[in-house]
Amino acid sequence: MTPPVDFQLLRAQQPRFQGLDPGHRACQGCGQALAARLTLEAAGPDILLANATGCLEVFTTAWPESAWRVPYLHSVFANAAAVAAGMEAALKAQGKDVKVIALAGDGGTFDIGFQALSGMLERGHDVLFVCYDNEAYMNTGVQRSGSTPHAAATTTSPAGVARMGKRHLKKDILAIIAAHHIPYGATASVAYPADLRKKVRRALQVDGPSFLQVHSPCPLGWGHGSELSIEVARLAVQTGLFPLIELERGALIGAMPIRQIHPVTAYLKLQSRFRHLFADDPRAREELAHLQALADHNIETYGLHAESPDGLDSEGADTVRRGGLRSA
Amino acid sequence: MRQALEGSQAIARAVALCRPQVVAAYPITPQTHIVENIAKLVADAQFQCEFVSVESEFSAASVVLGAACAGSRAYTASASQGIMLMSEVLYNIAGLRVPVVLTCANRAVSAPINIWNDQQDSMAVRDAGWLQLYCADNQEAVDTTIQAFRIAERCELPVMVCVDGFTLTHTLEPLELPSQEAVDAFLPPYAFSRTLDPRAPLSLGTLVGPDHFTETRYLHHQAVLDAEKEIIAAARDWSSLSGRMSAPLIRVDGPPGARIGILTLGSVFGTLLDAREHFGGEPVRLLHLRAFRPFPVEALRAATKGLSDLIVLERAISPGADGIVAAEVRSALMGADSPPRVHNFAAGLGGRDVPLAVYARLLEAIGTPQPRMSPIDLDRSQLSAAAGAP
Amino acid sequence: MPIMTPGAVAYPGTSLTFKTGGWRTARPVHRWVPAPCHAGCPAGEDPCGYVGLVAEGDIKGAWERLVAINPLPAVTGRVCDHPCEGSCHRGAYDSPIAIHNVERWLGDEAARAAWAYPLPLLPAEAKTVAVVGAGPAGLSCAYHLRRLGIRAMVIDRLPLAGGTLRTALPSYRLPREVLDREVERLMATVNFLPHTSLGRDVTLEELTREYAAVFLAPGRQQPRAWDVDGRVPRDLHAALPLLEAWVAFGKVPEIHSAVIVGGGNSAIDMARVLARTGAKVHLVTHDVRPAPGVPRDLAMKAAPRDIRQAEEEGVTVHVEHAIHHLILRGEKVVGVELVRVKKLARDEGHYEIVPFEGTETVLHVDQVIPAVGQTVAPEGMESLLAARGFFAVDGTGRVPGHDALFAGGDARAGAWGTVSGAVGDGRRAALAIEAHLSGKAQEPARDAEPITFSGLNLNYFEHAARAEEIVLPPDRRLALEEIAAGLSGPEVALEAVRCLSCGTCMACDNCWTVCPDQAVLKMHAPAGMRYLTDYDYCKGCGLCAHECPVGFIAMVDETS
Repeated sequence: MTPPVDFQLLRAQQPRFQGLDPGHRACQGCGQALAARLTLEAAGPDILLANATGCLEVFTTAWPESAWRVPYLHSVFANAAAVAAGMEAALKAQGKDVKVIALAGDGGTFDIGFQALSGMLERGHDVLFVCYDNEAYMNTGVQRSGSTPHAAATTTSPAGVARMGKRHLKKDILAIIAAHHIPYGATASVAYPADLRKKVRRALQVDGPSFLQVHSPCPLGWGHGSELSIEVARLAVQTGLFPLIELERGALIGAMPIRQIHPVTAYLKLQSRFRHLFADDPRAREELAHLQALADHNIETYGLHAESPDGLDSEGADTVRRGGLRSA
Repeated sequence: MRQALEGSQAIARAVALCRPQVVAAYPITPQTHIVENIAKLVADAQFQCEFVSVESEFSAASVVLGAACAGSRAYTASASQGIMLMSEVLYNIAGLRVPVVLTCANRAVSAPINIWNDQQDSMAVRDAGWLQLYCADNQEAVDTTIQAFRIAERCELPVMVCVDGFTLTHTLEPLELPSQEAVDAFLPPYAFSRTLDPRAPLSLGTLVGPDHFTETRYLHHQAVLDAEKEIIAAARDWSSLSGRMSAPLIRVDGPPGARIGILTLGSVFGTLLDAREHFGGEPVRLLHLRAFRPFPVEALRAATKGLSDLIVLERAISPGADGIVAAEVRSALMGADSPPRVHNFAAGLGGRDVPLAVYARLLEAIGTPQPRMSPIDLDRSQLSAAAGAP
Repeated sequence: MPIMTPGAVAYPGTSLTFKTGGWRTARPVHRWVPAPCHAGCPAGEDPCGYVGLVAEGDIKGAWERLVAINPLPAVTGRVCDHPCEGSCHRGAYDSPIAIHNVERWLGDEAARAAWAYPLPLLPAEAKTVAVVGAGPAGLSCAYHLRRLGIRAMVIDRLPLAGGTLRTALPSYRLPREVLDREVERLMATVNFLPHTSLGRDVTLEELTREYAAVFLAPGRQQPRAWDVDGRVPRDLHAALPLLEAWVAFGKVPEIHSAVIVGGGNSAIDMARVLARTGAKVHLVTHDVRPAPGVPRDLAMKAAPRDIRQAEEEGVTVHVEHAIHHLILRGEKVVGVELVRVKKLARDEGHYEIVPFEGTETVLHVDQVIPAVGQTVAPEGMESLLAARGFFAVDGTGRVPGHDALFAGGDARAGAWGTVSGAVGDGRRAALAIEAHLSGKAQEPARDAEPITFSGLNLNYFEHAARAEEIVLPPDRRLALEEIAAGLSGPEVALEAVRCLSCGTCMACDNCWTVCPDQAVLKMHAPAGMRYLTDYDYCKGCGLCAHECPVGFIAMVDETS
């Protein structure tokens, strides 16, 4: 009979920074919860967080409880970047060496929070803005956002006799961010935790504003099993639909090559938001072809085709190592 | 030292004397001169602060919120549409119980668009949970700005200092600016009790459900009511430092035996003082409601004691209901010992000049039956017959 | 009720009071699943286990884990046809782990470092079991008995232990010194009675009377009778005696050209030996080449590597052929007529070899050498042998009707006919003997199904080339020199790192990394026990299980 484990003690001894405690109320398999946890692991304790309204805020701060072990402020939906800018200004005035991270969903980044974000970037605040991109307004029940992919069905872009889901394209937010000429901007994915943490560290090292767009599947909103969150996120990368790239001052400095390029259908078929694209319908076939073309375009634009299947791309890939040491 | 300064410049220098570490603002008429003056002080190294020129009032409010939560004294200023745009954040700042100071250069609210003075903007956010202090002249604007920081910080509540646009912000008045030493003595460096600090991490802005929400609202309400004590204390302490007496809640001017009173907020009070002197006649008590939030019920009852008629002169209206201030005055006097009849008029909406003659017309008007509220300076010749042309 | 704070501020650590484990409908559990290499190993090795230890740098631990199953790794690492590699999932990913070379290196390393076999002290009251035959089956049984605290007395008709390893395996495949070194080290743990033949020097009755149990592993020493339509050349040589002569003396009768009949190891070795003497050699077999997916019954028994090397050395292999006629001049062979054949399945488990008329061809050779297998030399055991000349035993190796009599190795009916198969037989019999002697009921071996390829999550691995050993080019292969050089220590270490660790936790931290709820906690413990699920918070999302690279985590339904 082994003695009972002191979970509390063991939890306190975990060899990583734990900024986000369990007991939070994220759905099973929540990509955003994972992304936030990984972000904080890389960022460490010396940060202030400004969080936009959204799932993350709701599931972490049901008063009197909080899952955060770092200073945290949620104000409203649209102002995470501005609140973060205020924090940064204050810390600068006080001469404190503490980093500020703004956290927002795609609604709080692409749409309602965009103006504040653009202003913060333009003014050059030393703030890392992290967008947990789950491609719709999930907190309010899966309504389409500027980030919702083309042809995805949401409750405000449903599929029906006259419509094949969202009629518009996913906004290329990183290109817009790049136009601000900020020191560092990148995309990341929960499917590549080491890459994500590396990018958080890199972003926090730069002086000035930085931006990270983290693809974070929502099992409920995307319509896939909770165990598939990473699988789905990985396929988004491996199909070319969500390229993992890094920009410095707006210029492309790195892209994670895809070792094995999958057809977009491999990604789409796992999610019920794209179910209507698999109907026996010429419009559905056209939309599938459209999405494939978008992926092909990304692959070409960012040069995502891996040169060889060997370990050339191991810096970003989440190759596991016996005994826990990852490559990044 | 007594000097002639434009109101905005005086306010800017008063703000600088308070040493906020972060100032965020977005330009809007008639607030612009305030922030321009602050920017110039910063540029001239006469004022050390992080001056954040944001891209909207929404962000201005958000920046001061973030700055205050990160432990800095913070200030912003706006008006009119800007107050509307930041209103979501104003509620948020107050609900989070964060001390910041905002100057509202009072202006009409669109539509129709109008850049001139009335008080519709600050009245529109009266329920946001901020303290609201109205200034009758630029000396009051200077003194109230300084007091506002102390009140905000001691109460952990945001304070909106309301200054009539153009009428005060753009006019030159002789006034006294206090010394830095006096302000420093009055306003020591401040540490917000819930400062975000990695060494003692707190979560601010939590989700509060039905089980607990009433209690947050109740506590907030109590805090605003309790702020009356700090408003009074700040006025007292500042007058002993500055030598200038400023009435904390309601300024009362006129003979004790007066039977008629006129209550107003802001710069019209000065016009009424002049008019009373100009026209003479029966004794009239003039009341300036400096503290609109908290609403000083007891002070109002005391200030209106002995009056048979009280005219409330509004600078904003609530279409379809009473005047905003009059409704609150009526409510406050309900149940007082022999309260005065309350008459309610608006004047000077959208910057219409309030001439001395308004005083006489008000006194005349209460002799005849009137609607519950009407503009005393309405020009019926502009109205169609259907709309009530004479 | 909590006391409301100004601004509804909340404090760190407070969410821990909310136990989200109650949401769960399925829980993740850690469970070891056999790797396919384990399932594929006739000796019963778990390569995944010891390769993993090599990857972790625990070389001695790896060897100890290996010899807990197979005491002859330096031998089997060389001569086994390594079906483990055929079943290795890495083969479907890029190319299989060179398990045989890891095994071989561990055996050599143990000999070099003189590591002692990890054995318990023998209790004074230890019983003694007789083991007949010092070939791989007998040696394995004796060694495993010793591991189980039982003394073994090995008897063999020959002066030295090793059996077929010594008599019939050419040294270019198994150098003498390697065999001597490993067998010597093993023999130090058991008792040995050489020059002792069953039936001649000792009877079975004596053995069963004097020993607590007997394990019979005499091997197959008697070549099967062979003819074509009843005709046999006068100067016929069977393969095994020729091979034994060559192994013992380095000489065979002069032969210019020959057809070897058979597809097993003896056939291939015979062919290669003759090729070394300069003969033109053909090998004829009705089987097909072994390849993934080809049923064992249809494929040549020889290892693909050995077939390939034989061909490199000049042997011509005719698969799916049979000798239709012998072309004799007098009673001497001058040629054979070959015909194409196919092994066609008939009723259950039986095949019929069907020749196809019109496909006949002629080979002019001066010898036909059958290598069609041997049977047990029956002396002293006649009463026990089943109809076809082998021991019919149950799954544990017990001879039916005899509580304390066990048999295995090549002498067993249905034997693999390989060294590693013999090693496995010896171990299984030792376990059964121990159970019998201690009076314990033996748990029936219930090997779980090995993990499937799709049970792995290969997204977490990178392609990496298999370490290939240096093999002497055909023109430099001398009579005795070992052909394959094996791998160096660093090469073995790199190769071990390629292992996908199928079904076995490799402590990669993935579950710890992907849990959105920090419900996976990491401990200072060996891989397999390093992670603990905190079910207070685990919501049962299944990410850890789905993303486990090695299939070590299963979701178990909790709703019923």
